[in-house]
Amino acid sequence: MTEHEESRVTLSIRNLSKVFRSKHDQVQALNNVSLDIREGELFTLLGPSGCGKTTTLRCVAGFEKPSGGTIDFLGQDFTSIPPFRRNIGMVFQSYALFPHLSIFENVAYGLRIRKLSRREIEDRVNRIIALVGLEATQKRKPSELSGGQQQRIALARALVYDPQLLLLDEPLSNLDAKLRVYMREEIRRIQQQAKVTTIYVTHDQEEALSISDRIAVMHAGKVSQVGSPDEIYENPHSIRVADFIGQANFLTCTVQRDADSVLSFRSGEQIKMINSSDNIRNYREREGILFVRPEQMEISADANHPNSLRGEVKVILYLGSVVRYYVEIFQNQKPQEILVDQDRRVRDVGVGDPVAVLVHGQEAKLFPTEQRKQLEKM
Amino acid sequence: MVRAIKQRLKTFEFTPYLVLGLALIILVVFIVYPLSKVIFSSFIVKGDAPTLRNLTLDNFAQFSTSTLYRSAFFNTMTVGLSCVLFSCLIGIPMAYFVAKTQTPLKTFFLTLGTLPLILPPFVGAYSWILLFGRQGVVNYFLENAFNFKLPDIYGAPGVIIAITMSTYPFIFLLTYGALISADPYIEESAEIMGASRWRVIRTVTLPLVIPAIVAGALIVFMRSVGNFGVPAILGGNFYVLPTLIHFQVTGFFNLNAAAAIAMVNVVLVAAAILLSQYVTSKRSYVTITSTTQAARISSSKLLKWIGTIFCLGVIFFSLLPHLTVIFTSFTEGWAGTRYPNKFSLQNYSRIFEIALVPIRNSLFLATTATLIASVIGTLLSYINVRKNLRARWILDLTVMLPFILPGIVVGVAILVGFSSGLIILSGTWMIMVVGFFIRRMPYIFRSTTASLSQIDVAVEEASTIIGASWLTTFRKITLPLMAPGILAGAVISFSTLMGELSTTVILYSARWKTISIAIVEYLFSATIGPAYTLGTILIVLVLAAIFLANRILGRRMSQMFKMV
Repeated sequence: MTEHEESRVTLSIRNLSKVFRSKHDQVQALNNVSLDIREGELFTLLGPSGCGKTTTLRCVAGFEKPSGGTIDFLGQDFTSIPPFRRNIGMVFQSYALFPHLSIFENVAYGLRIRKLSRREIEDRVNRIIALVGLEATQKRKPSELSGGQQQRIALARALVYDPQLLLLDEPLSNLDAKLRVYMREEIRRIQQQAKVTTIYVTHDQEEALSISDRIAVMHAGKVSQVGSPDEIYENPHSIRVADFIGQANFLTCTVQRDADSVLSFRSGEQIKMINSSDNIRNYREREGILFVRPEQMEISADANHPNSLRGEVKVILYLGSVVRYYVEIFQNQKPQEILVDQDRRVRDVGVGDPVAVLVHGQEAKLFPTEQRKQLEKM
Repeated sequence: MVRAIKQRLKTFEFTPYLVLGLALIILVVFIVYPLSKVIFSSFIVKGDAPTLRNLTLDNFAQFSTSTLYRSAFFNTMTVGLSCVLFSCLIGIPMAYFVAKTQTPLKTFFLTLGTLPLILPPFVGAYSWILLFGRQGVVNYFLENAFNFKLPDIYGAPGVIIAITMSTYPFIFLLTYGALISADPYIEESAEIMGASRWRVIRTVTLPLVIPAIVAGALIVFMRSVGNFGVPAILGGNFYVLPTLIHFQVTGFFNLNAAAAIAMVNVVLVAAAILLSQYVTSKRSYVTITSTTQAARISSSKLLKWIGTIFCLGVIFFSLLPHLTVIFTSFTEGWAGTRYPNKFSLQNYSRIFEIALVPIRNSLFLATTATLIASVIGTLLSYINVRKNLRARWILDLTVMLPFILPGIVVGVAILVGFSSGLIILSGTWMIMVVGFFIRRMPYIFRSTTASLSQIDVAVEEASTIIGASWLTTFRKITLPLMAPGILAGAVISFSTLMGELSTTVILYSARWKTISIAIVEYLFSATIGPAYTLGTILIVLVLAAIFLANRILGRRMSQMFKMV
């Protein structure tokens, strides 16, 4: 994890709001969004479609006019500058390469507008095309390139004129799964090399976790949480974030405080949380929702294992790096299915077998019960 | 506060507002203004001052008192409905044969089936008399050989035949388009349920193409009730509204009466539009999904041969008038003699003395009007597609109005609008350019709108964010990408303007006679030689323009007419 505490803030978004009005209704796309983006970092806006991440990006670019709030870039008021004078590089979801221009001319476009000399244009285009590894394509038209190649040219075109800010709008969503993984590493590498402050928009949480310095999780026009990928994954501040990022199990329980916390569930079963997280130790309410990731649980073939939940294996999925067990618990009282990930198959456990599920308290968390409604919304 | 405003002014982009605003102003000055003025003046009697107090229905009362007016009205209806009927009888089977049977020469039929849309019908109209008239060569032959005479073609029958032969392609091409894009699985599913071939056609195929047929029928109706040239040449005493308008303008210079007749002509067109919308909305059609699957083709040998003969026959008859024009231009003294018996280039040897000026005029006017229409039409379609206007439909309707209205009505509107009042252009070439460009701008507008809506907005945004101003983006990105659409519209606009008659006949002045005016004048004085020689030159010019555009754009001609 990179430390950015010392870097200065370059882009500061304050109380940004955006209302889209149509004939029949109006939609509050952004509601008081405030973000600080630091110099040189790759900052990701993550959220489901309609959460406002793209609107935020388009406000920064200047394609949308904010209904309220300010966007400040190094002390300048960005909203009073038209998009073409903001000196931003942008990669669009559809790449938006100019179909009538060659690859060279596509990349050179920004330099020609900046009236660089012919020598310099050639130099810089060659250098950036080499950086994205596509030297041989210069004379071709965009339609003659593959999706991944077009993607890299779009990136080269956005970076060639040294923009102060790079915006990436779901740049990988049109690529197939394998290329997506490769390209996100490429983007990270090129971004680091160019040392350009970057805002990256995606709905893919895995992509966000792997590429970002920091992530803002957005929902319904608001920012739910800002933090490093580790913080977001391991310490979500709300059920909504916990549920959106990765896989998660949520179990309603009552909390008895002893030397250790004891959680009792609707089945009557009780678990004593040994070595539990600060969050659980400091939890003060009687009712709560236990949040635990599938890999923080363990399956035991011994159904009578102490300090565990009893259940029955319903499905076993072999996912390569992990084996995922769908286990039905609380069988006597409104059964619920939970996910348990194990590094390898548990010996002597098959579909239909009774098992015990153990919870590792160090990384589990308790959320107040009123957050339950966030679950249905996701 | 002041500083904030100054800051705003400095960063505000004026260019798009300036350029696009200018296009809108032109729209108002050259379409909205003359059209409003012509409506107003139809309620004023000639000689009265155009004030609110002088408003009257006197001009319209003529339709109840004058037999000439009344018969012109009913004749126009007759022509319009007959042309729709016969165009359907020709166009629908032809579309079926080309789309759904093993008929050979499909490209040939599609290309030659488009020609009548481009070749001005009035040029060939007189050929019907030359061939089938009382003194015509066919009649002469039939009389000699079989002692049999065709019924007289002069008047209503000639007008209807000549117009139908130039309008059936609308039905043919639109129906053909619907047939080949219809989902073939729908027909197969009817068949699998046990429907016979004829039943499938009647209950599935035909209903699916009805919206296309209705759209085609509407255009046929608009074209035939607005046609001036054909009834002027073949009508004789058979008056229709356009010839009546012409009569009022040139005979009495009664613009108010002409305006009133024009209004009635417009009402006919409007009624047809409403009727067609009613018909298509009553039956709620689901959009036809176009699969990659090609249309299913009937394997019947019988249909193949019937289709081939039918299509060849239609193509032959529809091009016969123009072929006759070309043929006749190479004869010497024919139409004086019974049969053409002497061939020479005599007609051409002297043509350039008389034709140079009209050719130059036509080229100049058509080129100028096409250029203006291209610039303004492109800008307006940019506003239409890219600017989120609430009142987009008003823009669309205003631009399209001169396309919907009969050409002679547009002519009257322009003449009324610019022969008195704020801007006076009458008697100049400029008034002709105005009439030409507003009538052809819809072609450019439609074809550029189509090509612009296929361009991803993100491509323009990409240019903007890279640092290009609005004008730079428009010039370097938007315009080049729209170019094929502009060119396609411009070619159709130019080639149809070369033989434009119905607007020209109202707006031309002695110094600015066009090829079409020259042809009509020769035909009226029965000087066939020069008329047909000029006609041939016109046909060659039009075909050359289309051929060139095909080469540049690499498109089939029938595709270029998709937006019509």
